[in-house]
Amino acid sequence: MAIKIALAGNPNCGKTTMFNELTGSSQYVGNWPGVTVEKKEGKLKGHRDVIIMDLPGIYSLSPYTLEEVVTRNYLLNDRPDVIINLVDASNIERNLYLTTQLVEIGIPVVIALNMIDIVRKNGDKINLEKLSKELGCEVYETSALKGSGLKEVTDKAIALAKSKAKTIPQHTFDNVVENGLAQIEVAVDSIISNKEQSRWYAIKIFERDEKVLEQLTIDSSIKQKVEEIIVACEADMDDDSESIITNERYIYIGKIIKKCLNKKQVGMTTSDKIDRIVTNRWLALPIFVVVMFIVYFVSVSWLGTIVTDWTNDTLFGAWIQPAVGDFLANVGAAEWLQSLVVDGIIGGVGAVLGFVPQMMILFFFLSILEDCGYMARVAFIMDRIFRKFGLSGKSFIPMLIASGCGVPGVMASRTIEQDKDRKMTIMTTTFIPCGAKLPIIALIAGAMFAEKSWWVAPSAYFLGIAMVLFSGIVLKKTRLFLGDPAPFVMELPQYHVPGAKGVLIHMWERGKAFIIKAGTIIFVACGVIWFLSSFGWNLQMAEEGDSILASIGNVIAPIFAPLGFGNWKAAVATVTGLVAKENVVGTFGVLFGISEAAEDDPALLAQVASMFTVISAYAFMAFNLLCAPCFAAIGAIKREMGGWKWTLIAVGYQTVLAYAVALIIFQLGGLVTGAVSFGPGTIAALLVLGFMLWMLFRPYKPVKKEKVLSAGGQVNV
Amino acid sequence: MPLTMASQGEINSIKSIRGKDETKRFLENLGFVIGSKVTVISEIGGNMIVNVKDARVAIDKGMASRIIV
Repeated sequence: MAIKIALAGNPNCGKTTMFNELTGSSQYVGNWPGVTVEKKEGKLKGHRDVIIMDLPGIYSLSPYTLEEVVTRNYLLNDRPDVIINLVDASNIERNLYLTTQLVEIGIPVVIALNMIDIVRKNGDKINLEKLSKELGCEVYETSALKGSGLKEVTDKAIALAKSKAKTIPQHTFDNVVENGLAQIEVAVDSIISNKEQSRWYAIKIFERDEKVLEQLTIDSSIKQKVEEIIVACEADMDDDSESIITNERYIYIGKIIKKCLNKKQVGMTTSDKIDRIVTNRWLALPIFVVVMFIVYFVSVSWLGTIVTDWTNDTLFGAWIQPAVGDFLANVGAAEWLQSLVVDGIIGGVGAVLGFVPQMMILFFFLSILEDCGYMARVAFIMDRIFRKFGLSGKSFIPMLIASGCGVPGVMASRTIEQDKDRKMTIMTTTFIPCGAKLPIIALIAGAMFAEKSWWVAPSAYFLGIAMVLFSGIVLKKTRLFLGDPAPFVMELPQYHVPGAKGVLIHMWERGKAFIIKAGTIIFVACGVIWFLSSFGWNLQMAEEGDSILASIGNVIAPIFAPLGFGNWKAAVATVTGLVAKENVVGTFGVLFGISEAAEDDPALLAQVASMFTVISAYAFMAFNLLCAPCFAAIGAIKREMGGWKWTLIAVGYQTVLAYAVALIIFQLGGLVTGAVSFGPGTIAALLVLGFMLWMLFRPYKPVKKEKVLSAGGQVNV
Repeated sequence: MPLTMASQGEINSIKSIRGKDETKRFLENLGFVIGSKVTVISEIGGNMIVNVKDARVAIDKGMASRIIV
């Protein structure tokens, strides 16, 4: 029979790093708490019959956060054979709090004292022998990052699972509490079938844990008796039962720490000193702005352009494209095949691939910022500002990630505990232009604004942020999202110098998706677009204007006419953008029959320029940036929203808002410049603008919700 | 006094945490229990980063004002 080993521990203590090391997989590891939200399974390297379970990081086994519920249910219901409890050695006191709970559930526990290298570097000493004796389980020093000590831990875990040994909790609480717990154990003895867990259940009943009480179905006479015991105890200790237990645990840990930990350094750590400056009241925002400006300037404007130009002009333009063209001509391939490969495939896919180096540089910087611990601080810095717009600081991390790709961005929203905040973040995250939308921005900027295009990219980001903030204010006033943003509590990782390996893996993990997309979805989509645009309904090669695609595009086009791009090519490009946003550029490339259409190709720019006016081009860009994201992101939204209803609300809201914004830009912008004359469209745009402003400024009464705790019957103040 | 009034760098001991809700429990689980030493590392408009039990925790103003030191 397979042995199941569960990895449990505090958030950000290295569980996923260890999981990857043990199983040889490459799950996403982030440097802020809460990256793993679902449990993940893998096989231990070299052992076919040993399964490793990576569980979400938790601070305790109480049922308050999503992660806690997932982990607790797994441990109690699926009962792994053994738990490896990762303890962050540099923060041992807080980490042991969870340990005191894990040893109570009747599953053998091995402790991996992780990040031991940091402790050694600080000059602190931990007495393993004493610690092991005090806790009643084996303790091993590990460094998941360096892969040291892992074999010892897993060997011990496997041995424990085979011997079916038990870990017996060594700690005792205050006499009053112990008395109460003993009485509860006796009172509910008949209900608990698994005697190993009777202490765990006694404590949970004492704490009035709702989920446990629901699950146990205790009859009312016993319930009343238990309640009397608890109330008596609470009166004695002058606190509520749950706080009593928490305090008792920490008192016990305090005693252990005194015996086992020899701390050399007192006072401020280097990490704290950095925080003094980086999160300083006056300096925090300027530092953040400068950091982000440098990241985007280097990766998009300066270094990014150099490598992208090289990829487009040299790699594709001078080497691949002529080589393939010559090769096909030499072997005497049919004209349609040459057209398919050179115009369709290389034209479309090349447009996307040419953009990969630029994205890689951006991801490289974002990975460094994340790995060193700065990203987690950004949430703290932004909280005060975001709170004014009805969002919490935690919403900022998903948005920052979404500037790379919307899919992980949407997924990162899981760290937001409060349901309404999380849903709102999911709905607005994709407004931030992702890597795949950058080619659209670059195309429009190059085609329409030529020499004076420097402001287009920043304005696109600004538009995205403005829409996030607008949505924050407006949505908070609707019935769906009414209420204050959740309180902000977040543990911050210690600063550390990012490892080259870690950063490069991060960069590759993020960038890989784009290359795979170019080779699969976009490859196929470009082929399909080429076919539909080259053939008529009679399946004969036809002029573009008579093609299948043109007739489909002509049906959709009128929808976009009020936005200024009611021609079939723009309509088709917008629709293909749903497959992947890079496709918008790829589609233009195929449609204009330009092989290797990079977004800065002069021929493509000229063609695009002839299709739009300055205003309609900007409206086109705005619509494509804000409307429903690509299918992959919609899929992520559905997973995170947990159903179609909220997915449709989200995607619908995004598309309607995009339409409204594009309408206002084209109609009112056109009116000002004289490109559009006053008519029904302008009136509609004015009405929409008026409605949006009214939504933005209408007063609303914030309903302060008083939460009622059912367990103790107390009302919160 | 509430933690919001503590000055930067000064080590304080927690006397009590007001309220009786999930937020209080969550804070307690994170190590904000009576007797714990807290140090304010930095503060922006009431939001704070504090060091408690060797961990750095960011909390908003509302929460900081409920922690009495």
